[in-house]
Amino acid sequence: MAVLALEAQGILRRYRNGRGVGPVSLRLGPGEVLALLGPNGSGKTTLLRCLSTRSRPRGGEVRWFGDPDPARARPRLAVVFDATAHVDEVSGQDNLRFFARARRVREDPQLLADSGLAEVGGEQVANYSYGMRRRLLIAEALVGDPTLLVLDEPTLGLDVEGRRWLERVLGERQRRGLSTLVGTNDTSFVEEVATRVGFLVDGRLVADSPLGELLASVGGMREVSLRFRGEVDLDRLREVAGVRQVVASPDGALVLAAHRDGLVADVLGAVGELDRRLVDLTIREPGLADCFLQLTGRPLDG
Amino acid sequence: MAERAAARPTGAFRLAGPRGLWGLELQASLRRRRALAIKLVFPLVLAVPLALTGAPQFFAAMLLTVLIAMVGTVGTGVSLTRARGAGWLDRLAVLPLGRWRVGLELFLAGWVVDCLQATLLILVLEAAQRPDPLTLFSTWLLSLATLAFSGALGLAVAALTDNPGEAMLVLAVVLAPMLFLSGLFTGVPASGPRYWIAQILPFSYLQNAFQLVLHGNPPYGSDPQFLLASAAFLLVGGIAAAALGRPLLHRGA
Repeated sequence: MAVLALEAQGILRRYRNGRGVGPVSLRLGPGEVLALLGPNGSGKTTLLRCLSTRSRPRGGEVRWFGDPDPARARPRLAVVFDATAHVDEVSGQDNLRFFARARRVREDPQLLADSGLAEVGGEQVANYSYGMRRRLLIAEALVGDPTLLVLDEPTLGLDVEGRRWLERVLGERQRRGLSTLVGTNDTSFVEEVATRVGFLVDGRLVADSPLGELLASVGGMREVSLRFRGEVDLDRLREVAGVRQVVASPDGALVLAAHRDGLVADVLGAVGELDRRLVDLTIREPGLADCFLQLTGRPLDG
Repeated sequence: MAERAAARPTGAFRLAGPRGLWGLELQASLRRRRALAIKLVFPLVLAVPLALTGAPQFFAAMLLTVLIAMVGTVGTGVSLTRARGAGWLDRLAVLPLGRWRVGLELFLAGWVVDCLQATLLILVLEAAQRPDPLTLFSTWLLSLATLAFSGALGLAVAALTDNPGEAMLVLAVVLAPMLFLSGLFTGVPASGPRYWIAQILPFSYLQNAFQLVLHGNPPYGSDPQFLLASAAFLLVGGIAAAALGRPLLHRGA
Protein backbone atom coordinates (compact mmCIF):
# COMPACT_ATOMS: atom_id res chain seq x y z
CA MET A 1 0.00 0.00 0.00
CA ALA A 2 1.38 3.40 -0.95
CA VAL A 3 2.50 5.63 1.91
CA LEU A 4 0.15 8.52 2.63
CA ALA A 5 1.60 11.93 1.84
CA LEU A 6 -0.15 13.30 4.89
CA GLU A 7 -2.02 11.84 7.82
CA ALA A 8 -3.41 13.97 10.63
CA GLN A 9 -4.99 12.46 13.73
CA GLY A 10 -7.04 14.70 16.00
CA ILE A 11 -4.90 17.76 15.52
CA LEU A 12 -5.86 20.71 17.63
CA ARG A 13 -4.74 24.32 17.55
CA ARG A 14 -7.11 26.76 19.25
CA TYR A 15 -6.47 30.39 20.17
CA ARG A 16 -7.59 32.21 23.28
CA ASN A 17 -10.59 33.68 21.46
CA GLY A 18 -11.80 30.16 20.70
CA ARG A 19 -10.96 30.38 17.01
CA GLY A 20 -8.53 28.00 15.42
CA VAL A 21 -8.93 24.44 14.41
CA GLY A 22 -9.55 20.98 15.74
CA PRO A 23 -9.75 18.32 16.55
CA VAL A 24 -9.34 17.41 12.89
CA SER A 25 -8.30 14.13 11.30
CA LEU A 26 -7.62 13.71 7.61
CA ARG A 27 -5.56 11.72 5.14
CA LEU A 28 -4.06 12.62 1.81
CA GLY A 29 -2.87 9.87 -0.49
CA PRO A 30 -0.68 9.90 -3.59
CA GLY A 31 -2.28 11.62 -6.57
CA GLU A 32 -5.00 13.28 -4.53
CA VAL A 33 -5.94 16.93 -4.59
CA LEU A 34 -7.79 17.67 -1.37
CA ALA A 35 -9.48 21.07 -1.20
CA LEU A 36 -10.57 22.50 2.13
CA LEU A 37 -13.49 24.87 1.77
CA GLY A 38 -14.79 27.06 4.55
CA PRO A 39 -15.86 30.63 5.23
CA ASN A 40 -13.46 33.22 6.63
CA GLY A 41 -12.42 32.31 10.15
CA SER A 42 -13.28 28.63 9.75
CA GLY A 43 -9.67 27.60 10.49
CA LYS A 44 -8.35 26.85 6.99
CA THR A 45 -5.12 28.79 7.35
CA THR A 46 -4.45 27.51 10.88
CA LEU A 47 -4.98 23.95 9.68
CA LEU A 48 -2.77 24.43 6.64
CA ARG A 49 -0.02 25.90 8.81
CA CYS A 50 -0.13 22.81 11.03
CA LEU A 51 -0.17 20.45 8.06
CA SER A 52 2.66 22.27 6.26
CA THR A 53 5.12 22.00 9.22
CA ARG A 54 4.88 25.75 9.89
CA SER A 55 2.93 25.51 13.17
CA ARG A 56 2.95 22.88 15.85
CA PRO A 57 -0.50 21.57 16.76
CA ARG A 58 -1.25 21.67 20.49
CA GLY A 59 -2.78 18.22 20.32
CA GLY A 60 -2.88 15.24 17.98
CA GLU A 61 -0.27 14.11 15.51
CA VAL A 62 0.66 14.82 11.92
CA ARG A 63 2.66 12.38 9.82
CA TRP A 64 4.24 13.34 6.54
CA PHE A 65 5.10 10.34 4.35
CA GLY A 66 4.59 8.17 7.44
CA ASP A 67 7.06 10.17 9.54
CA PRO A 68 6.11 12.60 12.35
CA ASP A 69 9.36 14.60 12.05
CA PRO A 70 8.63 17.87 10.18
CA ALA A 71 12.32 18.46 9.42
CA ARG A 72 12.49 15.21 7.45
CA ALA A 73 9.31 16.13 5.57
CA ARG A 74 10.48 19.56 4.38
CA PRO A 75 12.70 18.40 1.50
CA ARG A 76 9.61 16.78 -0.08
CA LEU A 77 7.09 19.46 0.79
CA ALA A 78 6.43 22.99 -0.48
CA VAL A 79 4.02 25.63 0.74
CA VAL A 80 2.35 28.72 -0.71
CA PHE A 81 1.17 31.01 2.07
CA ASP A 82 -1.15 33.93 1.50
CA ALA A 83 1.65 36.51 2.02
CA THR A 84 3.73 37.30 -1.06
CA ALA A 85 7.04 37.90 0.73
CA HIS A 86 10.14 37.86 -1.46
CA VAL A 87 13.51 39.56 -1.43
CA ASP A 88 12.13 42.49 -3.39
CA GLU A 89 15.40 44.14 -4.36
CA VAL A 90 16.62 41.21 -6.46
CA SER A 91 15.11 39.67 -9.58
CA GLY A 92 12.42 37.04 -9.75
CA GLN A 93 15.04 34.78 -11.29
CA ASP A 94 17.37 35.24 -8.31
CA ASN A 95 14.52 34.57 -5.87
CA LEU A 96 13.67 31.40 -7.75
CA ARG A 97 17.35 30.42 -7.80
CA PHE A 98 17.52 30.81 -4.02
CA PHE A 99 14.59 28.43 -3.54
CA ALA A 100 16.19 25.89 -5.88
CA ARG A 101 19.42 26.05 -3.90
CA ALA A 102 17.61 25.84 -0.59
CA ARG A 103 15.85 22.69 -1.79
CA ARG A 104 19.11 21.38 -3.26
CA VAL A 105 17.67 20.91 -6.73
CA ARG A 106 18.62 22.18 -10.14
CA GLU A 107 16.97 25.32 -11.39
CA ASP A 108 14.22 24.72 -13.89
CA PRO A 109 14.16 27.69 -16.28
CA GLN A 110 10.93 26.39 -17.74
CA LEU A 111 9.15 27.28 -14.49
CA LEU A 112 9.53 31.02 -15.13
CA ALA A 113 8.35 30.59 -18.69
CA ASP A 114 5.38 28.44 -17.68
CA SER A 115 4.34 30.87 -14.97
CA GLY A 116 4.29 33.68 -17.54
CA LEU A 117 7.19 35.56 -15.92
CA ALA A 118 9.95 34.88 -18.47
CA GLU A 119 9.81 38.44 -19.80
CA VAL A 120 10.20 39.99 -16.36
CA GLY A 121 12.37 37.31 -14.76
CA GLY A 122 15.41 39.58 -14.70
CA GLU A 123 13.55 42.53 -13.14
CA GLN A 124 13.45 43.35 -9.45
CA VAL A 125 10.48 41.77 -7.70
CA ALA A 126 9.74 45.22 -6.25
CA ASN A 127 8.48 46.19 -9.74
CA TYR A 128 6.09 43.22 -9.97
CA SER A 129 2.34 43.57 -9.69
CA TYR A 130 0.53 41.62 -6.98
CA GLY A 131 -0.55 38.97 -9.49
CA MET A 132 3.02 38.56 -10.76
CA ARG A 133 4.26 38.13 -7.19
CA ARG A 134 1.63 35.44 -6.64
CA ARG A 135 2.75 33.63 -9.80
CA LEU A 136 6.36 33.78 -8.64
CA LEU A 137 5.32 32.45 -5.24
CA ILE A 138 3.67 29.44 -6.89
CA ALA A 139 6.63 28.90 -9.25
CA GLU A 140 8.98 28.89 -6.24
CA ALA A 141 6.83 26.27 -4.54
CA LEU A 142 6.98 24.09 -7.65
CA VAL A 143 10.78 24.06 -7.69
CA GLY A 144 11.98 20.47 -7.31
CA ASP A 145 8.53 19.02 -7.96
CA PRO A 146 7.55 18.53 -4.30
CA THR A 147 5.74 15.33 -3.42
CA LEU A 148 3.33 17.30 -1.24
CA LEU A 149 2.23 20.81 -2.16
CA VAL A 150 0.22 22.91 0.31
CA LEU A 151 -1.55 25.97 -1.12
CA ASP A 152 -3.35 28.63 0.90
CA GLU A 153 -5.76 30.66 -1.26
CA PRO A 154 -3.73 29.96 -4.41
CA THR A 155 -6.01 31.79 -6.87
CA LEU A 156 -5.79 35.07 -4.95
CA GLY A 157 -4.63 37.77 -7.37
CA LEU A 158 -4.28 35.43 -10.36
CA ASP A 159 -5.76 36.50 -13.68
CA VAL A 160 -7.58 34.05 -15.95
CA GLU A 161 -4.37 32.93 -17.63
CA GLY A 162 -2.58 32.43 -14.31
CA ARG A 163 -5.50 30.45 -13.00
CA ARG A 164 -5.52 28.16 -16.02
CA TRP A 165 -1.77 27.60 -15.60
CA LEU A 166 -2.30 26.61 -11.98
CA GLU A 167 -5.19 24.30 -12.93
CA ARG A 168 -2.96 22.62 -15.56
CA VAL A 169 -0.10 22.26 -13.07
CA LEU A 170 -2.30 20.64 -10.42
CA GLY A 171 -3.85 18.34 -13.01
CA GLU A 172 -0.41 17.18 -14.17
CA ARG A 173 0.73 16.68 -10.59
CA GLN A 174 -2.31 14.55 -9.90
CA ARG A 175 -1.66 12.38 -12.94
CA ARG A 176 1.93 11.85 -11.79
CA GLY A 177 0.80 10.68 -8.36
CA LEU A 178 1.86 13.83 -6.46
CA SER A 179 -0.34 15.14 -3.66
CA THR A 180 -1.81 18.61 -3.19
CA LEU A 181 -3.68 20.21 -0.32
CA VAL A 182 -5.55 23.43 -1.05
CA GLY A 183 -7.33 25.83 1.29
CA THR A 184 -9.65 28.19 -0.54
CA ASN A 185 -13.05 29.79 -0.91
CA ASP A 186 -12.91 29.60 -4.67
CA THR A 187 -15.48 26.91 -5.50
CA SER A 188 -15.10 27.09 -9.28
CA PHE A 189 -11.35 26.47 -8.92
CA VAL A 190 -12.00 23.56 -6.58
CA GLU A 191 -14.49 22.06 -9.03
CA GLU A 192 -11.73 22.16 -11.68
CA VAL A 193 -8.85 20.69 -9.70
CA ALA A 194 -9.97 18.77 -6.61
CA THR A 195 -10.39 15.03 -6.32
CA ARG A 196 -11.70 15.33 -2.75
CA VAL A 197 -13.28 18.17 -0.85
CA GLY A 198 -13.45 18.87 2.87
CA PHE A 199 -15.76 21.40 4.49
CA LEU A 200 -14.46 23.29 7.52
CA VAL A 201 -16.85 24.96 9.92
CA ASP A 202 -15.67 26.53 13.19
CA GLY A 203 -12.40 24.64 12.95
CA ARG A 204 -13.98 21.23 12.43
CA LEU A 205 -14.03 19.11 9.33
CA VAL A 206 -17.73 18.43 8.80
CA ALA A 207 -17.38 16.65 5.45
CA ASP A 208 -14.61 14.96 3.52
CA SER A 209 -15.80 13.31 0.30
CA PRO A 210 -14.85 12.82 -3.33
CA LEU A 211 -15.78 15.84 -5.42
CA GLY A 212 -18.08 13.83 -7.69
CA GLU A 213 -20.01 12.45 -4.73
CA LEU A 214 -20.58 15.89 -3.27
CA LEU A 215 -21.74 17.36 -6.56
CA ALA A 216 -24.04 14.37 -7.13
CA SER A 217 -25.67 15.03 -3.75
CA VAL A 218 -27.07 18.30 -5.13
CA GLY A 219 -27.49 16.96 -8.66
CA GLY A 220 -31.24 17.24 -8.98
CA MET A 221 -31.53 20.52 -7.14
CA ARG A 222 -31.77 24.21 -7.85
CA GLU A 223 -30.43 27.21 -6.01
CA VAL A 224 -32.97 30.05 -5.92
CA SER A 225 -31.54 33.37 -4.86
CA LEU A 226 -34.07 36.04 -3.90
CA ARG A 227 -33.69 39.73 -3.16
CA PHE A 228 -36.66 41.55 -1.72
CA ARG A 229 -37.75 44.65 0.15
CA GLY A 230 -38.72 44.30 3.78
CA GLU A 231 -39.04 41.18 5.91
CA VAL A 232 -40.12 37.79 4.61
CA ASP A 233 -41.15 34.93 6.82
CA LEU A 234 -38.40 32.37 6.07
CA ASP A 235 -40.45 29.62 7.69
CA ARG A 236 -43.00 30.01 4.88
CA LEU A 237 -40.18 29.38 2.40
CA ARG A 238 -39.07 26.33 4.37
CA GLU A 239 -42.57 24.89 4.13
CA VAL A 240 -42.46 24.83 0.31
CA ALA A 241 -42.30 21.23 -0.93
CA GLY A 242 -38.76 20.07 -1.81
CA VAL A 243 -36.96 22.88 -0.03
CA ARG A 244 -33.84 21.59 1.78
CA GLN A 245 -32.23 24.76 3.08
CA VAL A 246 -33.21 28.40 3.47
CA VAL A 247 -30.62 30.91 4.57
CA ALA A 248 -31.19 34.62 5.13
CA SER A 249 -28.91 36.98 3.21
CA PRO A 250 -28.56 40.72 3.91
CA ASP A 251 -31.29 41.68 1.42
CA GLY A 252 -33.10 38.43 0.79
CA ALA A 253 -32.72 34.68 1.04
CA LEU A 254 -30.99 31.74 -0.55
CA VAL A 255 -33.16 28.67 -1.13
CA LEU A 256 -31.86 25.22 -2.01
CA ALA A 257 -34.56 22.86 -3.21
CA ALA A 258 -35.15 19.67 -5.20
CA HIS A 259 -35.98 20.62 -8.75
CA ARG A 260 -39.59 20.03 -9.86
CA ASP A 261 -42.26 21.67 -11.96
CA GLY A 262 -43.80 24.59 -10.13
CA LEU A 263 -40.94 25.00 -7.66
CA VAL A 264 -40.26 28.63 -8.53
CA ALA A 265 -43.94 29.54 -8.50
CA ASP A 266 -44.32 28.02 -5.04
CA VAL A 267 -41.23 29.83 -3.72
CA LEU A 268 -42.51 33.14 -5.06
CA GLY A 269 -45.88 32.45 -3.60
CA ALA A 270 -44.26 32.05 -0.21
CA VAL A 271 -42.61 35.46 -0.55
CA GLY A 272 -46.01 37.02 -1.34
CA GLU A 273 -46.90 40.53 -2.59
CA LEU A 274 -44.42 40.09 -5.44
CA ASP A 275 -45.21 43.28 -7.28
CA ARG A 276 -44.30 45.31 -4.20
CA ARG A 277 -41.53 43.28 -2.62
CA LEU A 278 -39.52 41.21 -5.10
CA VAL A 279 -36.38 42.98 -6.39
CA ASP A 280 -34.42 40.19 -8.05
CA LEU A 281 -34.55 36.45 -8.67
CA THR A 282 -31.78 34.11 -9.85
CA ILE A 283 -32.09 30.38 -10.47
CA ARG A 284 -29.05 28.21 -11.15
CA GLU A 285 -27.82 24.66 -10.99
CA PRO A 286 -26.11 24.09 -7.69
CA GLY A 287 -22.39 23.70 -7.14
CA LEU A 288 -20.03 23.20 -4.24
CA ALA A 289 -21.28 26.27 -2.42
CA ASP A 290 -24.71 24.65 -2.33
CA CYS A 291 -23.24 21.35 -1.13
CA PHE A 292 -21.70 23.35 1.67
CA LEU A 293 -25.03 25.00 2.44
CA GLN A 294 -26.85 21.67 2.37
CA LEU A 295 -24.39 19.89 4.64
CA THR A 296 -23.60 22.65 7.11
CA GLY A 297 -26.72 24.82 7.03
CA ARG A 298 -24.47 27.84 6.51
CA PRO A 299 -23.50 29.80 3.41
CA LEU A 300 -19.89 29.44 2.30
CA ASP A 301 -19.43 33.18 1.97
CA GLY A 302 -20.19 33.71 5.64
CA MET B 1 11.40 33.36 -23.57
CA ALA B 2 12.62 30.24 -21.83
CA GLU B 3 16.19 31.03 -22.94
CA ARG B 4 16.03 34.37 -21.25
CA ALA B 5 14.78 32.80 -18.06
CA ALA B 6 17.71 30.42 -18.12
CA ALA B 7 20.22 33.29 -18.07
CA ARG B 8 23.28 33.07 -15.83
CA PRO B 9 23.21 34.63 -12.35
CA THR B 10 23.08 38.42 -12.57
CA GLY B 11 26.24 40.41 -11.85
CA ALA B 12 25.17 41.55 -8.41
CA PHE B 13 24.28 38.00 -7.42
CA ARG B 14 27.75 36.84 -8.42
CA LEU B 15 29.28 39.78 -6.56
CA ALA B 16 27.46 38.82 -3.40
CA GLY B 17 29.27 35.55 -3.98
CA PRO B 18 27.78 33.16 -1.47
CA ARG B 19 25.12 30.85 -2.75
CA GLY B 20 22.71 30.97 0.12
CA LEU B 21 20.42 33.21 2.03
CA TRP B 22 23.06 35.65 3.17
CA GLY B 23 24.15 36.35 -0.39
CA LEU B 24 20.57 37.15 -1.34
CA GLU B 25 19.98 39.32 1.73
CA LEU B 26 23.30 41.12 1.33
CA GLN B 27 22.58 41.79 -2.30
CA ALA B 28 19.21 43.24 -1.29
CA SER B 29 20.87 45.53 1.28
CA LEU B 30 23.41 46.75 -1.27
CA ARG B 31 20.66 47.50 -3.77
CA ARG B 32 18.68 49.65 -1.36
CA ARG B 33 20.95 52.51 -2.37
CA ARG B 34 19.23 55.37 -0.59
CA ALA B 35 18.89 53.42 2.65
CA LEU B 36 22.50 52.27 2.33
CA ALA B 37 23.74 55.83 1.80
CA ILE B 38 21.85 57.04 4.88
CA LYS B 39 23.21 54.10 6.89
CA LEU B 40 26.77 54.84 5.89
CA VAL B 41 26.56 58.59 6.42
CA PHE B 42 24.72 58.78 9.73
CA PRO B 43 27.54 57.47 11.99
CA LEU B 44 29.78 60.11 10.43
CA VAL B 45 27.43 62.89 11.50
CA LEU B 46 28.41 62.01 15.06
CA ALA B 47 31.95 60.76 14.48
CA VAL B 48 33.31 63.70 12.48
CA PRO B 49 32.60 66.44 15.05
CA LEU B 50 33.73 64.19 17.90
CA ALA B 51 37.00 63.40 16.15
CA LEU B 52 37.71 66.96 15.03
CA THR B 53 36.64 69.12 17.95
CA GLY B 54 38.74 67.65 20.74
CA ALA B 55 35.74 66.55 22.82
CA PRO B 56 36.70 64.95 26.18
CA GLN B 57 37.96 61.47 25.31
CA PHE B 58 35.81 59.62 27.86
CA PHE B 59 32.56 61.13 26.55
CA ALA B 60 33.59 60.92 22.90
CA ALA B 61 34.48 57.24 23.35
CA MET B 62 31.18 56.65 25.17
CA LEU B 63 29.15 58.16 22.32
CA LEU B 64 31.05 56.20 19.67
CA THR B 65 30.49 52.97 21.62
CA VAL B 66 26.78 53.69 22.03
CA LEU B 67 26.64 54.36 18.29
CA ILE B 68 28.25 51.00 17.46
CA ALA B 69 25.94 49.19 19.91
CA MET B 70 22.85 50.85 18.38
CA VAL B 71 23.93 50.13 14.80
CA GLY B 72 24.30 46.42 15.55
CA THR B 73 21.18 45.85 17.62
CA VAL B 74 18.63 48.11 15.95
CA GLY B 75 19.56 47.17 12.38
CA THR B 76 19.19 43.45 12.98
CA GLY B 77 16.24 43.61 15.37
CA VAL B 78 14.12 45.89 13.21
CA SER B 79 14.87 44.25 9.87
CA LEU B 80 14.08 40.77 11.18
CA THR B 81 10.81 41.74 12.84
CA ARG B 82 9.87 43.48 9.59
CA ALA B 83 10.73 40.29 7.69
CA ARG B 84 8.48 38.34 10.04
CA GLY B 85 5.61 40.80 9.50
CA ALA B 86 5.96 40.45 5.73
CA GLY B 87 5.83 36.65 5.96
CA TRP B 88 9.43 36.08 4.80
CA LEU B 89 10.41 34.17 7.94
CA ASP B 90 7.35 31.94 7.48
CA ARG B 91 8.65 31.03 4.07
CA LEU B 92 12.14 30.31 5.36
CA ALA B 93 10.75 28.19 8.19
CA VAL B 94 9.27 25.61 5.81
CA LEU B 95 12.40 25.25 3.69
CA PRO B 96 14.76 22.33 4.30
CA LEU B 97 17.43 24.61 5.77
CA GLY B 98 19.26 23.97 9.03
CA ARG B 99 17.92 26.32 11.70
CA TRP B 100 21.45 27.28 12.80
CA ARG B 101 22.23 28.14 9.22
CA VAL B 102 19.24 30.46 8.83
CA GLY B 103 20.16 32.33 12.03
CA LEU B 104 23.79 32.65 11.04
CA GLU B 105 23.09 33.70 7.46
CA LEU B 106 20.50 36.36 8.37
CA PHE B 107 22.92 37.66 11.00
CA LEU B 108 25.88 37.69 8.59
CA ALA B 109 24.03 39.69 5.92
CA GLY B 110 23.25 42.46 8.41
CA TRP B 111 26.67 42.30 10.03
CA VAL B 112 28.55 42.88 6.76
CA VAL B 113 26.69 46.15 6.16
CA ASP B 114 27.20 47.18 9.80
CA CYS B 115 30.92 46.52 9.36
CA LEU B 116 31.01 48.98 6.45
CA GLN B 117 29.57 51.63 8.76
CA ALA B 118 32.11 50.90 11.50
CA THR B 119 34.98 50.90 9.01
CA LEU B 120 34.04 54.35 7.74
CA LEU B 121 33.94 55.59 11.33
CA ILE B 122 37.40 54.13 12.00
CA LEU B 123 38.74 55.78 8.84
CA VAL B 124 37.49 59.15 10.09
CA LEU B 125 39.28 58.58 13.40
CA GLU B 126 42.46 57.59 11.57
CA ALA B 127 42.37 60.75 9.47
CA ALA B 128 41.64 63.05 12.39
CA GLN B 129 43.70 61.49 15.20
CA ARG B 130 46.57 59.54 13.57
CA PRO B 131 46.64 56.90 16.30
CA ASP B 132 49.10 54.02 16.63
CA PRO B 133 48.35 51.59 13.73
CA LEU B 134 48.04 48.54 16.01
CA THR B 135 45.67 50.42 18.33
CA LEU B 136 43.61 51.49 15.33
CA PHE B 137 43.54 47.93 14.00
CA SER B 138 42.55 46.41 17.35
CA THR B 139 39.85 49.08 17.77
CA TRP B 140 38.50 48.32 14.31
CA LEU B 141 38.44 44.61 15.06
CA LEU B 142 36.80 45.24 18.41
CA SER B 143 34.17 47.39 16.68
CA LEU B 144 33.36 44.49 14.35
CA ALA B 145 33.21 42.10 17.30
CA THR B 146 30.93 44.50 19.20
CA LEU B 147 28.72 44.68 16.11
CA ALA B 148 28.60 40.87 16.07
CA PHE B 149 27.62 40.76 19.73
CA SER B 150 25.04 43.52 19.23
CA GLY B 151 23.72 41.86 16.09
CA ALA B 152 23.15 38.63 18.02
CA LEU B 153 21.40 40.69 20.69
CA GLY B 154 19.17 42.20 17.96
CA LEU B 155 18.43 38.70 16.69
CA ALA B 156 17.49 37.58 20.20
CA VAL B 157 15.11 40.52 20.54
CA ALA B 158 13.61 39.77 17.12
CA ALA B 159 12.98 36.22 18.36
CA LEU B 160 10.95 37.67 21.25
CA THR B 161 8.99 40.44 19.53
CA ASP B 162 6.43 40.78 16.77
CA ASN B 163 7.00 44.15 15.17
CA PRO B 164 9.73 46.78 14.71
CA GLY B 165 8.22 49.16 17.28
CA GLU B 166 8.14 46.48 19.96
CA ALA B 167 11.66 45.41 19.02
CA MET B 168 12.96 48.98 19.43
CA LEU B 169 11.36 49.25 22.84
CA VAL B 170 12.74 45.93 24.07
CA LEU B 171 16.16 46.76 22.66
CA ALA B 172 16.25 50.02 24.59
CA VAL B 173 15.24 48.20 27.77
CA VAL B 174 17.92 45.53 27.29
CA LEU B 175 20.72 47.71 25.93
CA ALA B 176 20.59 50.63 28.39
CA PRO B 177 21.43 48.53 31.50
CA MET B 178 24.13 46.69 29.56
CA LEU B 179 25.76 49.97 28.60
CA PHE B 180 25.48 51.23 32.17
CA LEU B 181 26.95 48.03 33.62
CA SER B 182 29.77 48.27 31.09
CA GLY B 183 30.76 51.55 32.76
CA LEU B 184 30.05 53.68 29.72
CA PHE B 185 28.45 56.49 31.72
CA THR B 186 30.34 56.27 35.02
CA GLY B 187 33.52 54.32 34.36
CA VAL B 188 34.18 50.77 35.59
CA PRO B 189 34.87 50.25 39.31
CA ALA B 190 38.22 48.60 40.11
CA SER B 191 36.53 45.60 41.70
CA GLY B 192 33.14 44.11 42.59
CA PRO B 193 30.28 42.68 40.49
CA ARG B 194 30.17 45.63 38.09
CA TYR B 195 33.83 45.16 37.30
CA TRP B 196 33.24 41.52 36.39
CA ILE B 197 30.09 42.25 34.43
CA ALA B 198 32.00 44.84 32.41
CA GLN B 199 34.62 42.18 31.62
CA ILE B 200 32.08 39.90 29.95
CA LEU B 201 30.48 42.59 27.78
CA PRO B 202 32.24 44.08 24.75
CA PHE B 203 31.18 47.68 25.33
CA SER B 204 33.70 48.56 28.06
CA TYR B 205 36.56 47.20 25.94
CA LEU B 206 35.41 49.22 22.97
CA GLN B 207 35.05 52.41 24.99
CA ASN B 208 38.58 51.96 26.31
CA ALA B 209 39.91 51.23 22.82
CA PHE B 210 38.23 54.37 21.45
CA GLN B 211 39.81 56.36 24.29
CA LEU B 212 43.22 55.08 23.24
CA VAL B 213 42.55 56.06 19.63
CA LEU B 214 41.56 59.54 20.81
CA HIS B 215 44.84 59.74 22.78
CA GLY B 216 43.13 59.39 26.14
CA ASN B 217 44.13 57.28 29.15
CA PRO B 218 41.66 54.48 29.69
CA PRO B 219 41.72 52.80 33.10
CA TYR B 220 42.65 49.46 31.55
CA GLY B 221 43.07 47.73 28.25
CA SER B 222 45.92 47.03 25.87
CA ASP B 223 46.09 46.05 22.23
CA PRO B 224 46.58 42.30 22.93
CA GLN B 225 43.67 42.40 25.36
CA PHE B 226 41.50 44.10 22.74
CA LEU B 227 42.50 41.55 20.09
CA LEU B 228 41.69 38.68 22.42
CA ALA B 229 38.36 40.24 23.38
CA SER B 230 37.56 40.75 19.67
CA ALA B 231 38.12 37.08 18.91
CA ALA B 232 36.00 36.05 21.89
CA PHE B 233 33.06 38.34 21.08
CA LEU B 234 33.13 37.46 17.38
CA LEU B 235 32.84 33.83 18.38
CA VAL B 236 30.10 34.53 20.95
CA GLY B 237 28.14 36.59 18.41
CA GLY B 238 28.38 33.92 15.73
CA ILE B 239 27.45 31.03 18.02
CA ALA B 240 24.57 32.98 19.57
CA ALA B 241 23.22 33.95 16.13
CA ALA B 242 23.36 30.33 14.97
CA ALA B 243 21.61 29.13 18.12
CA LEU B 244 18.91 31.81 17.81
CA GLY B 245 17.85 30.67 14.33
CA ARG B 246 15.33 28.20 15.70
CA PRO B 247 13.54 30.53 18.18
CA LEU B 248 13.56 33.27 15.54
CA LEU B 249 11.82 31.12 12.96
CA HIS B 250 9.50 29.36 15.36
CA ARG B 251 8.10 32.35 17.22
CA GLY B 252 4.34 31.85 17.29
CA ALA B 253 4.62 28.52 15.45
